[in-house]
Order: sequence, then structure tokens, then C-alpha cells
Amino acid sequence: MNNGKIVSELEKVVGEKYVSAQPEIQFLYHYDFITAEPEGKCDIAIIPNSAEEVQEIVKIANKYKTPVVPWVSGINFGSIATPRKGGIVVDLRRLNRVIEVNEDDMYAVIEGGVTWADLKGYLEKNHPNLRAGITWSPPGTGVVPACLCYGMFDLGMLGGTGAEFINGMEVVLGSGDLIKVGSCSLSNYWYGRQPLPDLAGLFIGWEGTTGIITKMAVKLWPKLPYRTTYLAIGAKMKFGVPVMLKLSKAGLGICDIYFVNLGWLQSVQELNEKDVIKDPVKNKMPDFFGLITTQAYTEKQHKAQCEAIEAICTESKLRIRPTEETQAPIQLWGCWNFARGGGGQWIGSYCSTRDIVKYYEQSREICIKYGRPPQFYSRLMFGGHYCVARTNINFNKNDPDEIKIARKLLKEIHDVVQELDGVVMYKPPKWAVQTYHDKTFPATSDLIRKIKQLLDPNNIMNPGQGIGGD
Amino acid sequence: MEKEKKIEYIKEKGISKLVLEHENHKLERNKQLEHYEDVMYQCGKCGTCRTIFKEAGWERVCPSGEFGGFEAFYLGGKNLLTWGINSGQIKWTENLAKIFYQCSVCLACTQQCQIPEIHHYAGEWLMAMREEAVRLGFGPMSEQKRYTEHIMKENNPYLEKHENRLDWLPSNIKQSPDAKLLYFVGCTTSYREQNVAIATAEILNSLQIEFKILKDEYCCGSPVYMTGQTQKAKKIAEKNIEIFKDSGIEKIITSCAGCYRTLKDTYPKKFGLDHGIEVIHLPEFLLDKLNSGTLKFNNQINMKITYHDPCHIGRHMGIYETPREILKKIPGIELVEMIRNRHNAWCCGSGGGVRSAFKDLSAFAANERIEEAKKTAAEAIVSCCPFCLNQFKTHIKNNEIKALDISELVRKVI
Repeated sequence: MNNGKIVSELEKVVGEKYVSAQPEIQFLYHYDFITAEPEGKCDIAIIPNSAEEVQEIVKIANKYKTPVVPWVSGINFGSIATPRKGGIVVDLRRLNRVIEVNEDDMYAVIEGGVTWADLKGYLEKNHPNLRAGITWSPPGTGVVPACLCYGMFDLGMLGGTGAEFINGMEVVLGSGDLIKVGSCSLSNYWYGRQPLPDLAGLFIGWEGTTGIITKMAVKLWPKLPYRTTYLAIGAKMKFGVPVMLKLSKAGLGICDIYFVNLGWLQSVQELNEKDVIKDPVKNKMPDFFGLITTQAYTEKQHKAQCEAIEAICTESKLRIRPTEETQAPIQLWGCWNFARGGGGQWIGSYCSTRDIVKYYEQSREICIKYGRPPQFYSRLMFGGHYCVARTNINFNKNDPDEIKIARKLLKEIHDVVQELDGVVMYKPPKWAVQTYHDKTFPATSDLIRKIKQLLDPNNIMNPGQGIGGD
Repeated sequence: MEKEKKIEYIKEKGISKLVLEHENHKLERNKQLEHYEDVMYQCGKCGTCRTIFKEAGWERVCPSGEFGGFEAFYLGGKNLLTWGINSGQIKWTENLAKIFYQCSVCLACTQQCQIPEIHHYAGEWLMAMREEAVRLGFGPMSEQKRYTEHIMKENNPYLEKHENRLDWLPSNIKQSPDAKLLYFVGCTTSYREQNVAIATAEILNSLQIEFKILKDEYCCGSPVYMTGQTQKAKKIAEKNIEIFKDSGIEKIITSCAGCYRTLKDTYPKKFGLDHGIEVIHLPEFLLDKLNSGTLKFNNQINMKITYHDPCHIGRHMGIYETPREILKKIPGIELVEMIRNRHNAWCCGSGGGVRSAFKDLSAFAANERIEEAKKTAAEAIVSCCPFCLNQFKTHIKNNEIKALDISELVRKVI
């Protein structure tokens, strides 16, 4: 790769200031800096300021057949923004504008590099009656990647995954062509993807291997005046989960249900591993903590919802009480524990609600075998139609031995839970993608390959990542 | 309020402490790079350092990052580059040094970071990296070298003659040669913002305070220390302390935020020069006099103003309310806040050697702050740091807003 020549062409597109092939700049793109995944290699970093500039960058990359890696914050628990085959990292941070908010249809059109802090700040200032879903990642991470990679929000019970919050997109394809998908492709409105052929699927779940999203419309939701979050505590996961499933199907204005074990709770409180009990079940400590949020438009409606939630939990012998926090804060890092060395990774999956308890028990056993406190988390999605289940681990990312153990532990959990039918890992790291290939219906795999070839003929888009990659 | 329940301030450091967080590493301040090597890697460049944490509309806080663009210019990038250096993953280069110098060390980033060790100590390794750059010959920047040479020769960074240092001093100012109280004027005030010096001296006179100004006042060393030249700065400090002692000084008042921070904090805590002299910033002195009834405001100024927190007394020393309390007591003054205030204040872009070496960044920061001040509809942006004041005056266009020092306002109402 002739870096000098490419840099010179890229400088003409975005200006000298926003292109770099200097080692100090490359260093910050070559690795995820959180996970136990291996390092990659960044040759050139570039920060475009418009969709047109992104197009030109992709065209130059095609000319030189050099990889292009779309990037917003570069942190996610699968390291899917780590450049695996070198090339140009397209850092979208200057595409950080909220273009439009439609209060009637409740959506925001945002650029590809908008962070949760950008969106939340904009809505608080300009549209205080609307809110976006809140993800458990730091405020500096991107909204668009979270949606594209099936991230989940605190409105998961209402709207499903982040992907289901997407109304439409403007995309620069691997070929350099710019397209729009959704209602925005034939009108000025970005209200949805229906009733057209749903081309959003060409980019959702592809981990940046088919195009770079330069604009996206995301659903917003009204802030209702009455809102309560309950904490439900039970002895074991197997006692608490059925109650949560019952609640998810009972209406009751519930916009979010998630539950964790004691290990997860201790981790988010930044407790050091040496200070926590490894196996709370063995020590007869409560190991189920559910958080249920309900909201309503009127006080009377809210009171009735709360009474029903309390009754269902109490009947099932769960202790329940309202919590002080009425909304999960934007900055609640899902599984990052600084006291344990700043490293964090998960085996996170979507799965059938039937398998939550099995998923937990199997991953728990493996963690205990490794002498690590199990950290489990699950969220019920879209009215209880499916769920997320994940097991987190923390490690010291400055300790190569701990990283090796972390990798081994993650692989073991992955291999075991994948045996449960319907468990599909999201944001999978490179090593886990093979499981996708192995499990996917062969003709479906063929179609995926053909689509990838069509959209990215030179295979330059985030190569080495995602199901569509090599 | 929620914020007050969860955050408290560490006195003198201006660093907000998160009550709910666990402090796992108790570290010392003012140490060399190696001292911090076990904590800096915790950073995951999550980006929390880029915006105001949880409040004030998630506004951006880092002039260096917003101007520089790449992550390297934000705290997250600098943390990991420091880790890269410490762990041998990257090597020192001129460009790396430039990245670390393209920062005013305003520390707004550290206020946002929620990793306890980075929240409390990142400022220490930002400075330690500058020291390391100097040790290896990559720092300071050429413009900073030039002013340092001038400080060594003429005792000021403004390329002015030492003999002209007291040119500002009006003949009517009454000094007491035997006074044990020193008004330490500082270089910026002596050569660039002389109104502040005159107002301060007149206030002291009007209060019948016995004080003196040294004929041989030298630079406090802040511009040298802040650019990583610790040994040179220490020598300046030793010389100053010797002069203070020889002059029988027991107490120093200064109207300069940078001098205050340097004399009070850097001399004893970084250089280990425990001079035993009480150092107070002019607003502290004024508030004390106001509260004791010695100082009275007899006149009125009908003006809507906004207050800019200088980094050197705000985040570096934890003084946020003292100047505000004085301003609120001035009859006719209406104090309005900018969105980014106190520990979240946007830096004016003059400190840390930025104004001399990175003029574009410096102008970007100043203009951003001026625009923010204008949005409050204030007639004036008031501060208590001559460097901030001079920076604003340089960048305010068409008199769209005034820039004033707190001493100038106080002088008018006594």
C-alpha cells in the first residue's frame, strides 16, 4: 500500500488537517482499548465532514483496493471497528449534526457520527418532550453503530433492538455510490421503512462491511409524565425470570425490563473481584435483581399499572420496591469495571426467552470453574417477543496473562451457550463469526455472499469482520 | 439537587469527587510519569471526557480536541498515548510532543471522566509527559523556548525590558517600604493589563492596607513550568523566594490567577519549596474585607455581566464561588452564567503555552468562549485572571462585548 500517494489524494478531499498516517494517530485506531480481542492495524485515519467526502474517500480506496473501516468511537465488545487488514479508518466524528427532528412522527435524522451525548444534548435543549432510547455504553459512543449492530436501549420493551428504531438511512456503498433507503428515498419524510422493499437489511447486522451510513433516522419517544422503576429481588435467577416474563406479557405500560445476577451488580458498582463473593448462590445470597420500568400518561393509569406490577411480583415471592433512579443514566457502562483493570468483554446473544435460565446456569458454571464471579444480564425485548442474554467478564487489560485467560473463558462460554438452539451472538468478534457460517442455512449464506459482492465489489469494506466478510 | 448529592469538590484542586466511586489507587501528585503507569491504561477512550458529564446539555469541553479533530487531542487519546509510551508500544516523536503541547492543560476533561484514577490524576501525567518531552529534547515548542529564554534574561515572557516592569505604577500609589505584605503584580498585568495593576493598588490604598511592590519582581515561572521545564521553573522559584525572604515578605496578594496557583501550589508541592508565605488571590482578600465590613461598595454599576472561571484558580485550585460572591454584592450588577461554568467552564485558550505556540487553537478557544458569553446577553465578560482578560480583549471584535477584570469593577464602586 502506497500510503504517501493515498494520503496525498485524501488530503485533497478533506484537507491536510484531517488526514494522518502518523504513528501517534494510527495507534489510537489500531485497537479497541477495552476488549481482549487482538490488535489490528490502521494505515491512514481520515475525518470527513460530509457524505460527499465519504464517497470520494471510498472511491479512492476502491482505486487502490485498500480497506475502508467505518469508525465512530471504536469501542464495542466485539472489536468490530478494529481494522483487521489495515487500510483507511474513516472516523465519522465530524458528521455529528442532528439534521432534523420531526415531532409529529417522532424521529430524528442524524449524521453517521452523532454520539449519544450529541443526541441527548440536542433533544434536551430543543425537544425536551421527546427522548431517544438510552444504551448502556459511554456517551461518546455512536448512535448509528449501536442501531446497526442490534444494540439495545432502555426502551427495548417498546421498540425492540436499535435496528428496529431505524426509520431510514443514507448510505455510501462499498462502490462509492450514495443511496437512500426507507421513506426518505422517495419523499422528504423519514418516518419509516414500510411499505417499500426493506433495503435497510443490507446494512443492519453487517458490521460495516457493506457501506458507510452517513445519515440515519432514529425513532424518538414521548416522555410520559408518570414513570416508576421497580427493583425486584429474588433468591435465584430461575425464580425471578418467570415473573419477568409474566410481566412482559401483561401490558402495564412497561417500557423496560431487565434483570441481572449479583455478580453483574457488583461489577457495575466498581467492586474489585477480590472483594466480592464468587458464588452467591452457594452462599445463599440473592442472585436475581430485576428492574421494571413503567410509564403512563395519567396518574390514575400509572397507579393501576404500579399496583398490578407489585401484585404480580409479590404473589411470586419477589421482594419489590420503587427505586430512586427513574431512568437509567446514559453513562452506565454495561460491563466495564475500572477497579478490575479496565478490560471488559461479553458473550452477548439474542435468544428465545425459554433459554434465559439455561444460558445463565451454563455460563455461570464456567465462570466459577475459572474462579471468576459470573456476571449475567438479560433484557426482555419488544413486548417480550425475544430477549438478550449475556455474560460479562472483566480483566486487567495491562496484563497479557489475564487477557489470555479472558479469551479462553469467553470462548468456552461461547461454545457452550451456542449449543442452545436459537442463541445468536451479536456484535460478534472475528473468531465467533465462524459459528454464524456453520449454523446458517447454506442458501442463506450464499445469498449473503452475493449481496456482499454486489455492494462491495472490491471487498474493501471492513474486511475480516462480520458475516459477509472473508 | 442530584448533582450535589453525588459530587463534592476537593479543596485546592478544584476536582469534583464522585462520592459513589471507589478510589482504588491512592496516588501522590506532582510525580514523574512512572508513578502513574499502573492506572493510565484503564482509559478505554470512551469519549466521556469530551462532553460535560450529565449536565448542561452535554456541551463539548475540550478546546484541544475540538480543534485538533483526532482522538489524540482529547484526554482519552492522550491517556492511551501515555500508556503507549510507558509500555513501549510507541516512541517519542516531534509529532507526539506537539500533540501533548497542543493543550492548555485546562483540565475540563478530567472533570468529566468517571474512572476515579483518571478523574483525579490525569492532569499529573499530562504535565509529566511535558517534562518527559523536555528531558528527551522534544519540548518545549520553539515559541515557548523563545519566551523562556527571555524570562531568563528579562524576567518576563513578553519580550519586554525588565527595567520597564513598573512603568504602569502611578505616582499617587502609596507604598510602605517596610510592609510585610507584597502585591505580586505578575508579568501579564505589569506589561499588558496595567489597568488591573492600577485598580488593585488603588483598592489596597483605599483600604489603607500597608503593602509594597518589589522593584525587582520577576516572573513567577508559570509559563516555564506549564511547558514542562520544571528545573528551569524551579530555579526561578528559588530566586523569587530568596527575594521575598530578603524583603521580609510574610504575605502575598496577587491579582493574577496563574501567579497565585504557582506561588501557592506549585512552589511547595511540585518544587518542594515550602516558603511559608501566605499567598492569597485578590478576590479572596476582597471577599474577606467585604464580609468583615472593612470594604464597602458605595457606588453602583448598572451592568449585566457574565463570569469566566479562569482554569488556574477554578479547576486547578478549586475557587469558583469567591469571585461570584463579590460580583453579586456589587450594587447594580446582574450576574448571569454561561452554559459552561465552574468546573465545566470552557477554557479561554491562553494557558499552558498554547497562546504562544498554537495561535489558531488559542483563537478558536477564545472565540468559542466569547460567543458563549454573548449568548447570555451580558455587556461584559468578567474574570480575575489578566491572561484570560488579555485573551478576550485580543479576540473580541467590534466591541461586541466588553472584557473586564473584577478589580476594575470593584475599583469603580468603592
